Amino acid sequence: MSSAIRIAREEWRLWLRSKVVIAAALIIAVLLAATSFLTAGRVVDEQSQRLDKQVAAEEAFFSQPDRHPHRMVHYGHYAFRPPPPLAAFEPGVDAVTGQSIFLEGHRQNTAMFADTKASADLGGFATLSPANLYQLLLPLLLIVLGHALFLRERESGTLAVLLAQGQSGVKLAMGKGLALLSVIAALMIPLVAVAIYSISLGESAMAASSLVFSYFIYLCIWGALVLAASIILKQRAVSLGVLVFVWLFAALIVPRFAINASSAAIDAPGKIESDLIMLAEQRKLGDGHNAADPAFQRLQAQVLEQYEAETIEELPINWRGIVASYSEAELTDLLNEHAENRMGLEASQSRMFDLFGVISPTISIGSVSRTLSGTDLATHHRFLRESETLRFNFVQAVNQVHVEDLDYARDLNRNASDEAGQLARVSADSWKVLEEFRFVSDASGDRLSRAALSLGVMIAWLLASVSIVFLAARRVRM
Amino acid sequence: MLSNLARETRFLAKDRGALFWLALALTLSVIAVSFGVAEVREQRSTIATLTKEDAADRQNALKTQEDWGGAAYYALHFTYAPPSDFAFAAMGQRDSSPWKHRIKMLALEGQIHEADTRNADFGLVGRFDFAFLAACVAPLLLILLLYDLRASERTARRHDLLVATAGSSSRLWFPRAFVRVAALALLLLIPLWIAAIMQGTSFVITAQASMILVGALLVWWVITELISRIDALPSILLTSMIGVWLALAILMPAISKAAIDANNPVPDGGEILLLQRETVNDAWDLPKDDTMLPFAALYPELSDHVQIDEGFEWKWYYAFQQMGDEKASPLSQQYRGARLARDRQAGLVSYLSPASFVERGFERLAGTDAASMIAYEDNVRNFHAGLRAFHYPLMFPEVPYDAALLNDLPIYDPNPSSHDPSP
Repeated sequence: MSSAIRIAREEWRLWLRSKVVIAAALIIAVLLAATSFLTAGRVVDEQSQRLDKQVAAEEAFFSQPDRHPHRMVHYGHYAFRPPPPLAAFEPGVDAVTGQSIFLEGHRQNTAMFADTKASADLGGFATLSPANLYQLLLPLLLIVLGHALFLRERESGTLAVLLAQGQSGVKLAMGKGLALLSVIAALMIPLVAVAIYSISLGESAMAASSLVFSYFIYLCIWGALVLAASIILKQRAVSLGVLVFVWLFAALIVPRFAINASSAAIDAPGKIESDLIMLAEQRKLGDGHNAADPAFQRLQAQVLEQYEAETIEELPINWRGIVASYSEAELTDLLNEHAENRMGLEASQSRMFDLFGVISPTISIGSVSRTLSGTDLATHHRFLRESETLRFNFVQAVNQVHVEDLDYARDLNRNASDEAGQLARVSADSWKVLEEFRFVSDASGDRLSRAALSLGVMIAWLLASVSIVFLAARRVRM
Repeated sequence: MLSNLARETRFLAKDRGALFWLALALTLSVIAVSFGVAEVREQRSTIATLTKEDAADRQNALKTQEDWGGAAYYALHFTYAPPSDFAFAAMGQRDSSPWKHRIKMLALEGQIHEADTRNADFGLVGRFDFAFLAACVAPLLLILLLYDLRASERTARRHDLLVATAGSSSRLWFPRAFVRVAALALLLLIPLWIAAIMQGTSFVITAQASMILVGALLVWWVITELISRIDALPSILLTSMIGVWLALAILMPAISKAAIDANNPVPDGGEILLLQRETVNDAWDLPKDDTMLPFAALYPELSDHVQIDEGFEWKWYYAFQQMGDEKASPLSQQYRGARLARDRQAGLVSYLSPASFVERGFERLAGTDAASMIAYEDNVRNFHAGLRAFHYPLMFPEVPYDAALLNDLPIYDPNPSSHDPSP
């Protein structure tokens, strides 16, 4: 073991003497520090801003004056998604999806105003985040540092001497690997710092440490690939060229190719498209604004029987409210069915995308990173579902007020004059039915189990690449 | 010269490393272009389906209407920006900005920001289109083709002999590099040209795109040429070249993007909606004149018809919908203006990064840049204004409802004459 440490120390001495290495390491250190700092600051700001907005939206709702209840259904409410603490490292899909939704009766709106839509267009990546740097740039740094790790000894003729002294190829490779491992350990420091910071903001320690662990595995995969190339190939320019190609392939080409392939293979219709199909079905359900619609005849018979009344005027409750409530429930079933269908298709597109991790570890780490940070597509979908529940509950609660607290005759008469309109109102106290909404991340266990597949793929990558190193090192001859 | 080129072509034909990079370039180009063509076909068929479904849905909705207000409320109109005949090469902003809407005569600010975008993972990673290949990957392939021209001869200890035999170093290295750059450009461009012919892209656009790509490759050639004059190990040369590539193609765009965005804050989009919603909702509780008088000031020709007698009248309803738009308009204009300002600055900065320049150049030619997306939104706004201009003269003077007149409803025109949005 001590010989391995000696070899590793010798590598460090050489690196510290190389201007290229020092320059590359410095640039990356500055970039890492700058992006971590900026992203963390932005995320903390956004977190408190969105929480404030959520509270403000609730207060605005509560402070509405006496009104006709159906007006509150259209007045609506907002749901905001604050970024989770680990978004400071991995903003994930946040920049691409909107982060707030307007909630109102009879409609499911989309999350609007994604950052990328308004962002300056210079091609390249959506955002420069610490996660991007770890996924793309650090492997490149490992390539620059390590492409000649082993073959340097071969080129300078020292390999023969070392082997003659009784060092085995495997021992030599272990020393070189140790050197690279110590570099990787040093590169983990900014991530560990961000992880500790996120724990201080309330992130679960398990999720944060799993994230650190995943990136460690990811960098080790690259370290092993680099070491293997430097053992197998005989010229440093060739080794560098091959490794750069592998990087180009794994980090740039395959992820985008996988996007094209999974969107071509699984067609997820847009919202307008599925809405149009839905509208055709909705027409069969009747219009919630019009209680005389034939589709409500059956409902009417049933309600009259329940209250033992002859006409809807005799009912102790407001028939228009019943209609509103009934059609909202029916429509929501339909909306949810289509929304679930759309989200299901998107989720299977993303699963297919994740499968490409088998040919590019960059895809796997991206997926693990977003999932553990709570900024993945599944979390966005959960936000959509939870805000939909919030929407449905408040609309139905207000409809219940309509049923119970507003006299039917006054309701029908509401447009006769301004005074009649004043009478067809309910007290502002009724708006208290709105639930408090605070979007929080999944439990860390859920996130981990969602990341398990991609994490497994990465571990397979690590085992495979380390085995290649050992097999190649065992065959090293003079 | 010609004999030099012929010699170097024969030399290239035996260089297996170089042939591998060139074959890779051709393969990637074929893949990028085919995916692009398939995506455009898919978008066109979506538009065709939606146009048909939309018309049927509108017919159905209008069948049962009995007044102008109901007709305007229940008729939705499909609006869209069709992909251009060059969009296959650069999907650009079509992936992050919506290019289709269904609009009705209610307040537009509540509708136009709806985002019918795709799977969020897709927007995050981006797509492998020709523009990305040309902007980011092609320079790297060029570097891999050129970095060891001199250095490999040095390593083989033939360098000085070759230079001495050739007479001048330019007669040796220039043809050798030229053959590689030309082969790379051709192999990238041939699939693009074939697809352009299939898609009916105009010759001018194809030629401009080819020039952008060739120009960018020349810039990268100069960069690699300058670096490769350094007398250093090929691996150090390659490291430096990749460093420059990384700086120009990845870091520069990302950092400038962050700086431009920080310098030109856009108003919070949520505020636009909030203002519009609050205005529309408040109007229900305000005296009717508070809505109708400012409305009459906007439409003097309708001012004889703005008296509201009943508790609810459609004219009043649409008037306060419009007042909601008017109230949110400054904020909305500011949002639009900031997007255009960001885009203009990005245009200037892109001269510093060949990769950004290529990406933006392709998007401009393909009509998928930010300006085109904003032009589409303007087009939707014009169409919506057309709906109001159609309905108001019927609704306000209370012209008796006649369903036949609805046959003259404005029809959305996806290709209006002027394209450039004014700042």
